[in-house]
Amino acid sequence: MARLHLKDIRKSFGETRVLTGVSLDIADGEFVSLVGPSGCGKSTLLRIIAGLETQDSGRFEIDEQRVDGVRAADRNLSMVFQSYALYPHLSVGENIAVPLNMRQLNALQRLPVIGPFLPGARGRRRAIHAQVARAAEMLDITHLLGRKPGQLSGGQRQRVAVGRALVREPAAFLLDEPLSNLDAKLRVHMRAEIAQLHRWLGATFIYVTHDQVEAMTMSDRIAVMLDGELLQVGAPSEVYERPADIRVAEFIGSPKINILPAATAADGSIACLGTETRMAVRGAEVRASQLGVRPEGLHLSREPADFTGEILHLENLGPELYVQLRLQGCDAPATLRADAALLPQLAVGQSVHLSFRRDRALAFDNDGKAVETRLLDRTPQTTPASGIKPEQGIAPDLGEERRAAHV
Amino acid sequence: MSDASLKAPSLLPRLPRLARPAVRADTPEASRARTGVLFTLPAIVLMLVILIVPILMAGVLSFTDYSLGRAGFDWVGVQNYEHLLSRSAYRSMFVATLTYVFVVVPASVGLGLGAALLISSLRVGGDFYKTIYFLPVMAALLAMAIVWEFALHPTLGIVNSTLAAGCDIGWLRGLLTGAWLGGDPAASWYGQGCADGFPLWLGDRDYAIWTLCFIGIWQAFGFNMVLYLAGLTGIPRELYHAAEMDGAKSGWERFRLVTWPKLGPTTVFVVTITSIRSFQVFDQVEALTSGGPMKSTYVMMYAIYEKAIQQNLIGIGAAITMVFLGFVLLMTLIQRHLVERRVHYS
Repeated sequence: MARLHLKDIRKSFGETRVLTGVSLDIADGEFVSLVGPSGCGKSTLLRIIAGLETQDSGRFEIDEQRVDGVRAADRNLSMVFQSYALYPHLSVGENIAVPLNMRQLNALQRLPVIGPFLPGARGRRRAIHAQVARAAEMLDITHLLGRKPGQLSGGQRQRVAVGRALVREPAAFLLDEPLSNLDAKLRVHMRAEIAQLHRWLGATFIYVTHDQVEAMTMSDRIAVMLDGELLQVGAPSEVYERPADIRVAEFIGSPKINILPAATAADGSIACLGTETRMAVRGAEVRASQLGVRPEGLHLSREPADFTGEILHLENLGPELYVQLRLQGCDAPATLRADAALLPQLAVGQSVHLSFRRDRALAFDNDGKAVETRLLDRTPQTTPASGIKPEQGIAPDLGEERRAAHV
Repeated sequence: MSDASLKAPSLLPRLPRLARPAVRADTPEASRARTGVLFTLPAIVLMLVILIVPILMAGVLSFTDYSLGRAGFDWVGVQNYEHLLSRSAYRSMFVATLTYVFVVVPASVGLGLGAALLISSLRVGGDFYKTIYFLPVMAALLAMAIVWEFALHPTLGIVNSTLAAGCDIGWLRGLLTGAWLGGDPAASWYGQGCADGFPLWLGDRDYAIWTLCFIGIWQAFGFNMVLYLAGLTGIPRELYHAAEMDGAKSGWERFRLVTWPKLGPTTVFVVTITSIRSFQVFDQVEALTSGGPMKSTYVMMYAIYEKAIQQNLIGIGAAITMVFLGFVLLMTLIQRHLVERRVHYS
């Protein structure tokens, strides 16, 4: 197991700058996700870590040992590829055995026909066989060992690829979008399995994904990358609740965070869409020009509240409801997350009042950097900030329905 | 009551029998099947007329002594085939053909693969080499054979004059005669050549078939190279990366683990095509040696041409043709077996 240390890694392909100075420390046994949209350089970074690609500048250490010039085969890392990259002519068992064969048998002992009869080969082959069997058992693919990859389903191939990676106890596991070729249901299942595998092995995992849900649910820490730059590294909850950059706020969270134009007065108080937010920036020079409110931070209100808007579209997901709105004074549509029980009371085109949770609102300056804010009045908000009181709404009935469903 | 119940069974089987054909003919499946047959009919007729019937006719003629222009023919049984097995000219034919096939196929496949691997590893200049190696494929072999005839001419040809020029350069002669290995310079091949003259490449029975093999390889490997280049582009880079991560450090290991297995389908195709084309070798034989000297280059295609066309012995020509078809069919069957069983994984 290993600690990984990346310092100011830069990489360009011709004129295109793919990585612009990435520094990252990964602790022993940590599960770190590199997350970002396609083309942000996260796969390139992973391949530099793996040794399949060479950085233009910067240093990379594994356990305080610089490995920049060391080739991939000697770094003792293992990788799960997006396409699984299984050897199609070898059976599942042979596929899993390849990394062991390459390392534990010499060139003569690997020869197809005479190899097994050379001195020492038999014992080692038996040991390899046992290791393969153990890995297969761990992943529940023992019954597939004799098959060829072409005869397996996507999920089974995925397991074989993981098995090939874990069979030789590497310093760290690198996973390059391993779930993106699976269907949605299997993805959820494999997500849990990989997280569980990480707990079992206690090894360092670096997981590249463009799917923020995978990153949020599996990792100890998330590293959000955009345009070849690490924008923020932190625990999932931290990245979600206190994004350092508006791009992080926009990338993490589904549906997307609502960005509303704001203005900062001379005294530091923030106004948004013509409403005093009763929030203020900390510090004299700081100016907040945008306010980010997550869909669950916006609430429908009976009485006139912070904003008014018109319902553009309703999306019923079953347990919850996404309401697309056009806020007065703002062109971009906003999204609100509400209890699905409110659906009968809402209609497209309806005009509604909205309040927002100030303690969850995020302020950003002109450059998109997060700005620290304070609440101006310390009085607790009139709870619930969502105007529609439970006794007036349908929420209790829904509760009863849910209970009934459970019985 | 009882009448009706007695009559009913006798009526029942008759009714469906009348009704069934009408119903069946009108089902969409039946009409679709009829249309399908109708659509394939031209192809079937063409295939019968230009492929199956001629082969059957050749098969029939191979048991006769028919020759073109004669009103009739006599059945001679398996006499033609007997000749193929007993006469020394035909034994030479099989020896020459199989020598050519077993030399040209491995060499041109191996060279094609090697050239493709080298070219695909180039960053620049790949197109240049591709063009050069592909030129012999594009050129008409008959024309190229004439160029080779000039080059290999015993006295005027560039090959022998170059070799002879080397005899006058002391160090080169020493190198080529193997004197530096401690051998007797005069006894070596090059030493003898310098003393007695270099071989008649196309006129010497010990050299002619090998010279033709060389020309055949020269002509065929560019085509195999192009096929292998196409095959190489189909290998996902991630597989090489996986091999690297798994510890395959040398190029040979990567070749064994990834390249060669993934080129399996290409190899089967290349070997089959090259084998069939090698069995069909004709141009350079006709242009350069006419099957000689002493039948040492008397390959099957040339034998068919000589017997059936030049000497108008259709019967024996047809018999050779049938044997030839047998070889090609065998190649095709082997290929099908390999394709289905061994080399296609997913």
